Amino acid sequence: MKELFLSLLSFALAVEEPLVDTAAEARAQKLMQEIRCVACENEPISQSAAEIAGTMRVKVREMVSEGASDAEVRAWFESRYGEFVLFRPPARGVSGLVLWGLPFGILLIGASGIYLARRQRSGSGEVEAVSAETFDHDNGTAS
Amino acid sequence: MIETGHLAAFLALAASVVQTWYGLRGNRPMAARMALSALCIMGISFFFLIISFVASDFSVALVAENSHTLKPLMYKIAGTWGNHEGSMALWCLVVIGFSVFGAIRLQTGRTRFEAVALGIQGAIATGSLAYLLFASNPFLRLDPAPLQGAGLNPLLQDPALAIHPPMLYLGYVGFSFVFALAAAGLIEGRIDRHWARATRGFVLAAWVPLTVGIALGAYWAYYELGWGGWWFWDPVENASLMPWLLGSALLHSIIVTEKRGSFAAWTALLAVLAFCFSLLGAFLVRSGVLTSVHAFAVDPLRGSLLLAGLLAYGGAALGLFAWRAPSLRSGAAWGLMSREGALMLNNLVLAVATVTVLIGTLFPLLAEVTGRQMSVGAPYFNLTFSPLMAALLVVLPLVQSWSWGKASISPNWKLAAIVGALLGATILAALFVFKLPFGAAFGLALGLWLLFGAGREVFRRAMVPSRLLSLPARVWGMTFAHAGLGLFIIGAVIETGASYERTIALAEGDSAEIAGWTLTLDAVRSGEGPNWYSDEGTLLAKSGSKEAVLTPSKRYYPAARMPTTETAIMKSLRGDLYAALGDRRVVDGRTLWTFRVYFNPMIDFVFFGVALMALGGGLAMMPMRKRKTEAKVPIEGPATPEPQRTKVIA
Repeated sequence: MKELFLSLLSFALAVEEPLVDTAAEARAQKLMQEIRCVACENEPISQSAAEIAGTMRVKVREMVSEGASDAEVRAWFESRYGEFVLFRPPARGVSGLVLWGLPFGILLIGASGIYLARRQRSGSGEVEAVSAETFDHDNGTAS
Repeated sequence: MIETGHLAAFLALAASVVQTWYGLRGNRPMAARMALSALCIMGISFFFLIISFVASDFSVALVAENSHTLKPLMYKIAGTWGNHEGSMALWCLVVIGFSVFGAIRLQTGRTRFEAVALGIQGAIATGSLAYLLFASNPFLRLDPAPLQGAGLNPLLQDPALAIHPPMLYLGYVGFSFVFALAAAGLIEGRIDRHWARATRGFVLAAWVPLTVGIALGAYWAYYELGWGGWWFWDPVENASLMPWLLGSALLHSIIVTEKRGSFAAWTALLAVLAFCFSLLGAFLVRSGVLTSVHAFAVDPLRGSLLLAGLLAYGGAALGLFAWRAPSLRSGAAWGLMSREGALMLNNLVLAVATVTVLIGTLFPLLAEVTGRQMSVGAPYFNLTFSPLMAALLVVLPLVQSWSWGKASISPNWKLAAIVGALLGATILAALFVFKLPFGAAFGLALGLWLLFGAGREVFRRAMVPSRLLSLPARVWGMTFAHAGLGLFIIGAVIETGASYERTIALAEGDSAEIAGWTLTLDAVRSGEGPNWYSDEGTLLAKSGSKEAVLTPSKRYYPAARMPTTETAIMKSLRGDLYAALGDRRVVDGRTLWTFRVYFNPMIDFVFFGVALMALGGGLAMMPMRKRKTEAKVPIEGPATPEPQRTKVIA
């Protein structure tokens, strides 16, 4: 009975040979972290124990060893499995612009907004400097 | 009897309604009394729920679905909140708990403000209890009762995970009281230095457990999932990171409000948003729009109700904010090059970082609405979130000594040259001697820079080393938190940049070389626990004169029909040697076992760093020592209770 249960437990960990060229292997590893396993919930193929992920890893190593660029590897997987497979969505189109541009756009808008608002205001009135440690032994209330 | 618990929850709901009524009418003593009653009643209710789990009363539907007689006692108890309904009951208990905590600790001398805050917290408790009783009822019976329960998700049967949810809830729900204080302050039209002084402790009371809760979750993921990593930018992790980031921004902005009276509107907004993001997290995790180990019960109705709650409470508070914010008084004047300016930069970056995490988390969901299937994962966050935060942290040691109002900047060029040269040398050594990728080399230098900055600032504050110990606890809190951040970054970048991973297949007696260790498979044996069977491998690890035994195993929980990985971790000064057992395969008549072996250098820095941040937060909560020095900036407004505007019905 126990044996039966344990034999059901076959989450396959494929044994794969790393590439001999360490630089190419490092590049392949990095790509494997960017490509999503199509059979799992939310895992890159670098982590997944699913069989398909093993096949996908073999393909990444194969393409890298044949001299494909990172972009070519990503493009191959995208054409084969769809956009879904890329954990690093391509920066193209309106959605790419929003996704990749928005964080830095908000930062720029926020920073310039603050700068303009402060420059206007700090022109008027005296500003008194109070050192940070003034409050180290502040007794709490003004009373 | 579960019916007693059910009835008690209804009574707690009634008490919360009365608390809201009295609170909003300005009657603090009655609101406090009602909060205390609600806590006692809800405590009884939760106690009966736990008792049903401990006694394995499978006539209670929730127990039948989530427990099992063979489960160890600790996980029977923890199983109470290891499911949707039970965790909502815990949520309600914590909401009410914060009411009572607030009723005791809130001593501002402004009775009406305190009463209104308790009233709003009562309204949050009312909403939570109504959701519990009408959409997630844990107290329902099952007829006929099954003889055995279905068991708790085995992944959750783990000590770290037993306390991870209560910690997270203390954090999420802790922000509910901060929200209540902000709304009450806005209603009164007074978000000032008094308000900030009263509120800051409550922000920390939420931020510290949230920090601990997230760290426990990360640590659990590290040793339980068998993937070697600790943070995966999973939507569920992001859901907890967003309120943490906003809470961190709030911790900094509220200092400005407390010391100078400035940033009042922004601080109030952050206080409202921190709780809104906690609710958003609950919605994302529980509605089933994200699938994960946390999506216990995927139910669109529950999701819609959570979203409705978020929109109702968040919308009301934001409306209140829009109405009141323009009339808030501004504080002392300040220029851009000042402590205020530096903290504003901190807040800007933390807010943008939060938005970045939000975009990355929601983007795939929004794309799905338009019919596109896409993924946003770790590479996105590493290219957006990480550089943003890195830029902020580079600046931190430079500006932390700046004065309020106007900083007098007189750089110490000699020190700058020495530190710059040392950090440059660190980067070069990391790049060319230790062969780290550039990001990791830069991160290492950044971590050291933060440690240096934290140390330098604490010495500057003390002026002479003998005064170090008499510095206020908050200064030490800041020092620990910033130093912890430095250690965290060092651990994170080294682990990510230099970890080593291999999958090997061994027959008994075979050996393999990994990261300088020779691993020999001694044997794989079968084992048995209270509610599981296992295969356990014994690996003998040898490196020079060092020897260790690793026993990674795989467990199978028949009740839940689910396997789990139990990793084996050998800690050393350099890092963790980490092994997970994979499957068995037969090749040419030989039985081979696959192992995934990792070497994770300096990973403990990650967890130790976060622990230090939480400790810093705890220290920052300590009250100031009373000393009769005059505050340079007088606190505006009366410290004495203001006249009551409505009649007290006491």
